[in-house]
Amino acid sequence: MELSDANLQTLTEYLKKTLDPDPAIRRPAEKFLESVEGSQNYPLLLLTLLEKSQENVIKVCASVTFKNYIKRNWRIVEDEPNKICESDRIAIKANIVPLMLSSPEQIQKQLSDAISIIGREDFPQKWPDLLTEMVNRFQSGDFHVINGVLRTAHSLFKRYRHEFKSNELWTEIKLVLDAFALPLTNLFKATIELCSTHANDASALKVLFSSLILIAKLFYSLNFQDLPEFFEDNMETWMTNFHSLLTLDNKLLQTDDEEEAGLLELLKSQICDNAALYAQKYDEEFQPYLPRFVTAIWNLLVTTGQEVKYDLLVSNAIQFLASVCERPHYKHLFEDQNTLTSICEKVIVPNMEFRAADEEAFEDNSEEYIRRDLEGSDIDTRRRAACDLVRGLCKFFEGPVTGIFSGYVNSMLQEYAKNPSVNWKHKDAAIYLVTSLASKAQTQKLVITQANELVNLTEFFVNHIQPDLKSASVNEFPVLKADGIKYIMIFRNQVPKEQLLISIPLLINHLQAESIVVHTYAAHALERLFTMRGTNNTTLITSAEMAPFVEVLLTNLFKALTLPGSSENEYIMKAIMRSFSLLQESIIPYIPSVITQLTQKLLAVSKNPSKPHFNHYMFESICLSIRITCKANPDAVGSFEEALFMVFTEILQNDVQEFIPYVFQVMSLLLEMHKNEIPSSYMALFPHLLQPVLWERTGNIPPLVRLLQAYLERGANTIASAAADKIPGLLGVFQKLIASKANDHQGFYLLNSIIEHMPPESVDQYRKQIFILLFQRLQNSKTTKFIKSFLVFINLYCIKYGALALQEIFDSIQPKMFGMVLEKIIIPEIQKVSGQVEKKICAVGITKILTECPPMMDTEYTKLWTPLLQALIGLFELPEDDTIPDEEHFIDIEDTPGYQTAFSQLAFAGKKEHDPVGQMVNNPRIHLAQSLHKLSTACPGRVPSMLSTSLNAEALQYLQGYLQAASVTLL
Amino acid sequence: MPVVKDHSGWMRKFKNKGKDTAALRRQRVEVSIELRKARKDEQILKRRSILFSLVDENLSLGEEKRNEIIQLSLEEIVEAVNGSNTELQLQATQATRRMLSRQKDPPINQIIELGIIPKLVEFLTHADNAPLQFEAAWALTNIASGTSDHTKAVVEGGAIPAFISLLSSPHMHISEQSVWALGNIAGDGPLYRDALINCNAIPPLLALVSPVTPVGFLRNITWTLSNLCRNKNPYPPLDAVKKMLPVFICLMEHEDKDIISDSCWAISYLTDGCNDRIQIVVDTGILSRLVELMARPELIIMTPALRAIGNVVTGTDEQTQAAIDAGVLAVLPCLLRHAKPAIQKEAAWTLSNIAAGPCWQIQQLITCGLLTPLVELLDKGDFKAQKEAVWAVANFTTGGNVEQVVELVRSGVLKPLLNLLLAKDSKTILVILDTISNIFLAAEKMGEAERLCLLVEELDGLEKIEALQTHDNNMVYRAALNLIERYFSGEETPDLQPGTGHDGLYDFSVEKQDFDF
Repeated sequence: MELSDANLQTLTEYLKKTLDPDPAIRRPAEKFLESVEGSQNYPLLLLTLLEKSQENVIKVCASVTFKNYIKRNWRIVEDEPNKICESDRIAIKANIVPLMLSSPEQIQKQLSDAISIIGREDFPQKWPDLLTEMVNRFQSGDFHVINGVLRTAHSLFKRYRHEFKSNELWTEIKLVLDAFALPLTNLFKATIELCSTHANDASALKVLFSSLILIAKLFYSLNFQDLPEFFEDNMETWMTNFHSLLTLDNKLLQTDDEEEAGLLELLKSQICDNAALYAQKYDEEFQPYLPRFVTAIWNLLVTTGQEVKYDLLVSNAIQFLASVCERPHYKHLFEDQNTLTSICEKVIVPNMEFRAADEEAFEDNSEEYIRRDLEGSDIDTRRRAACDLVRGLCKFFEGPVTGIFSGYVNSMLQEYAKNPSVNWKHKDAAIYLVTSLASKAQTQKLVITQANELVNLTEFFVNHIQPDLKSASVNEFPVLKADGIKYIMIFRNQVPKEQLLISIPLLINHLQAESIVVHTYAAHALERLFTMRGTNNTTLITSAEMAPFVEVLLTNLFKALTLPGSSENEYIMKAIMRSFSLLQESIIPYIPSVITQLTQKLLAVSKNPSKPHFNHYMFESICLSIRITCKANPDAVGSFEEALFMVFTEILQNDVQEFIPYVFQVMSLLLEMHKNEIPSSYMALFPHLLQPVLWERTGNIPPLVRLLQAYLERGANTIASAAADKIPGLLGVFQKLIASKANDHQGFYLLNSIIEHMPPESVDQYRKQIFILLFQRLQNSKTTKFIKSFLVFINLYCIKYGALALQEIFDSIQPKMFGMVLEKIIIPEIQKVSGQVEKKICAVGITKILTECPPMMDTEYTKLWTPLLQALIGLFELPEDDTIPDEEHFIDIEDTPGYQTAFSQLAFAGKKEHDPVGQMVNNPRIHLAQSLHKLSTACPGRVPSMLSTSLNAEALQYLQGYLQAASVTLL
Repeated sequence: MPVVKDHSGWMRKFKNKGKDTAALRRQRVEVSIELRKARKDEQILKRRSILFSLVDENLSLGEEKRNEIIQLSLEEIVEAVNGSNTELQLQATQATRRMLSRQKDPPINQIIELGIIPKLVEFLTHADNAPLQFEAAWALTNIASGTSDHTKAVVEGGAIPAFISLLSSPHMHISEQSVWALGNIAGDGPLYRDALINCNAIPPLLALVSPVTPVGFLRNITWTLSNLCRNKNPYPPLDAVKKMLPVFICLMEHEDKDIISDSCWAISYLTDGCNDRIQIVVDTGILSRLVELMARPELIIMTPALRAIGNVVTGTDEQTQAAIDAGVLAVLPCLLRHAKPAIQKEAAWTLSNIAAGPCWQIQQLITCGLLTPLVELLDKGDFKAQKEAVWAVANFTTGGNVEQVVELVRSGVLKPLLNLLLAKDSKTILVILDTISNIFLAAEKMGEAERLCLLVEELDGLEKIEALQTHDNNMVYRAALNLIERYFSGEETPDLQPGTGHDGLYDFSVEKQDFDF
């Protein structure tokens, strides 16, 4: 593409079309741009447009397109073609900085992002003059330009805050410091001076304070990895100015907005961060400045209001105090009783109060509220910071601090008692204090110190928590109800069991509360209580203890799902699953109603699955219903099929991808429940399960393999008789799986089932092919995982068809093949086989080769007899060899495969491990001894002589042990 | 998980998990780039003779009064030095020396630019004119005390052989001045250090050490010798080291603190390297003396002695055991509690390398009561020291057996360890997460994983780990996520996500080929 007006015109047209709301116009334009972006000059045309276009909307659009282009193409990936030609790269780097600086803010931001993406790849080596170019702009005096430079620098340097120390990183930082630290310091001083000259000019101040914020952020990045020499030498300048900025106030910078932090707040909170960084990491050097900062930040906290816009500032400021007060040499700054009292009263308590904003979130944004309150994403909240400060103070002043707060808790409760409907927030604060500060440590043996008691947890529970939950109305004071329920969750290990039992009906009752937070907490608390461990590895709360509540519990749980806002509430669904699992057979009477409700829910959410956790627990609950019911009454499986198959068909027909793996698992579970021949409804589905499109989706593979295995276990004869034409397709699936290093073990699961269950004559014609395929994989790309699965398979084959058949089929593929496999694969690798059943299969298979395969006795294979025996004894006695060759470390291997599909996405759809030799052989060592005995009777003298010539002494000793245990001797 | 070294060969081949103690032990230098100011507790590389000049000025005051202090311009100096009048040469050299000895901004560059260095070097050979020799030696000493370029100018002027021959000057003050000058040259770096060694500077230097050598002189010699042991890339030649070692061992018994200090520094340089070098030091039997010196109250002695021992325990298990046998574990608790952060840090680093050893050495840490001070340091130490303490705990949990890890948890390590998840250092956070995962592995073996979950939650660790799931550093975030998924997420298992195969055709057929495994 030439840099011509015509091309600029064309590009303008297409860019305009990409903004069209009509996809029929927009999509082709996007496609066109994508198709030309590989052409030389394309980025330069975009840069020209964003600078010179007549229309602002095209300028902006070009800048965004440019940034995305850079994001996609700038990085040069090894072994892939360079997507931007070198001359374009050079031209971009030469022009982008001045262009960014002269552009209006909207475009400047895009270009600044583009610079940092380029910088991440090219800076410093391939973009050596970037820094000087930026630093030179500091002289310009134009703060629009300066802020552009600072913003770019910030996006280039902020990675210093999280990357690991390395030579490369530190070389870059050193380079940046050498070029940047002094100019930045001078700019800082100059900007502060300008702030006082322009103290009465609001618009100038705004620009200047934006610069100061960026400068403070750059300070943080540049000082993060270690304290640079330059900043140590200039600490006085920086810290003195930071300190005075902390204490500065200017009416012109105050904002009316209650939510959004203003420039002043942003600057001060960054300064708090900077001071905290120094206090934590460079304490030795920072010590002289620290007390001043403590005072300033303390004053700041006392004078800052409750508005949301101050949240970040306040939490950063409190975090600073929290990190300082636990340092031994600053103890004296806090130890005065008055100081402590006033920190507690003026800093901690006000910031723990439930504010209007919290109340709003509780009612209108409950999902966010729950996440913050329950799941600990409250990192930057005032409450959290205040708690951290208390914990910090407790390190040295535990007694006095606990004393102050326990007095406070009592007085808050008294206030509440005077007039609950007005003063309920006081009680909330009291409960909050207790839930966040009381020691949760119950495992006293393991910790050295134990917190002073703030309150007696059980007394508090009985006197202040239970009364709220017992009140007649579940909807009164919802915040206090939520507090109370949370108290139960938090102290469930501390409160005695009898109190928990009293609470259970109360919690069940609160499942009916209108407030989303309250009924969600109730469900969550029940779920937590039901998972508590009692003695002997049983649940703490027993099914018998729950007997009186079963009906009301199930009713209220399902009713809660109909409350507004909770139709896909994952906490409730998880509580349903947990209740089923705890109650077991006592849910059976309710199953008809339960399964109807679950299928309706399933049908509804399958239209648009959006809550993965909810869906997961829903399927778990379905599995539990099936297991529990069919355990008591196997014939009930039919009614489940009746209820579920219609929905399942719809899910499969509509290809609801999220649900298909679950459906296969539930179907496997149902099919395995059948005791007799496979029902025809399943057989009708069989051909569809072999469709390639299903197997292309990786998430389907484990559950589909599991389902096919269930088909083979229950219906091998039916398949052989009624669906023989589908056998190549079935083996095709095996071939598909075996071709992949990631899925080959799944292929073996399938193959093992085929060999174990299919009538031999139905697979006769394919057997040779199967082995050729396996040998091919073995030859071309063997991995440890493949070898392990291969060994298990050939031994299973040997057990099923006999050792002689194994030898014959190998040697029919290629002469002496059997010997090669023994020598190169079985003997050296058998030690790698893992898993009890797997090892047993191999032991029995090898025993057969040793004792039931005549060619092992009198052909050239005979020399392998003793080594094979020794390998077998090694398999019995040596620790497993779990080494993996170096080159395999990068192969994406999923969980260690077992003999059976261990795919357990649905915990309650899992099946028991299957042992195909369980009936035949109980103790494989004894079995070996007996088989050897039999062999030696057939050809007296041969066995002992082979043993004595080359079996290693240790192995021989083990073998004698087996013979003794089996009470046999070798002839 | 634990690395057990006394396995029989048969068992051992099955235990190789790619982790061995050598990888856990951390050498002193991880990155060679420094952002910080040069450390204040390092030994001085080069010294200019300032104090000495003041003394000299005072002593010779009477004489100076008689002769008046002659002020010469730079031009006059050049002229006089290059002239033939020895009296004027002496005056000019003295004037040069005086300028170079003034407290502030000595004009080293200007003097070099005068081009008189070769002349000054020549004066060193004027055995008949001791005052001139002395003044020239002093002036050159001070030039060599500057930057690398300054030292280079002196060396390229041919000063090395001249100074070496002056070591055996009959005038003690000239000999001493030469020792000093050589010290500055050696301190410049491995290149000049080896140049000195190749010019055979060591034997005459060692010959100066005797019971009657005055203390001041002996200090200079010790310092110069220590500079001859200093610097890596490359290390000083082995035979040179072997020549000096016995002398250092004697000097460490001296009563003068500076002499002991510089000898310890020398040992610390000799041990700062590969295990073969450490072995040479261990073989001298000096470790007990070093440990004794580590316990001395004087910082100038404690610091280098601690460093030397710290270096020794980066070595093999046997070398580490030698340090343990010398009593290092009895001294470390005090040092871990030392008021100076740099000492805390160094002591914790030493401890971390002992903790990287096999179980039986970890057991000695427990027996000697190191866990309590370690936990204290983790809780209240300076950040630099806390970082090292984290490494110590990490190594402990990697190599320790289940009982030992339990003992560690019992001594209260979890609380401060979890608190440090708030540290502003990604690497430290990652090491802590790995450590927690190690502790969980041990807990799982005892069937106590659930109790540990509870404990971590109670100590407010869970909320910190949860918060790290949004950390900007990928490895940190993944480690946090793994812990949560593995131990704190109930029964949900992460999705199994195998890759796809390349073969899209499902027809079951295959071409036979020849097989040879």
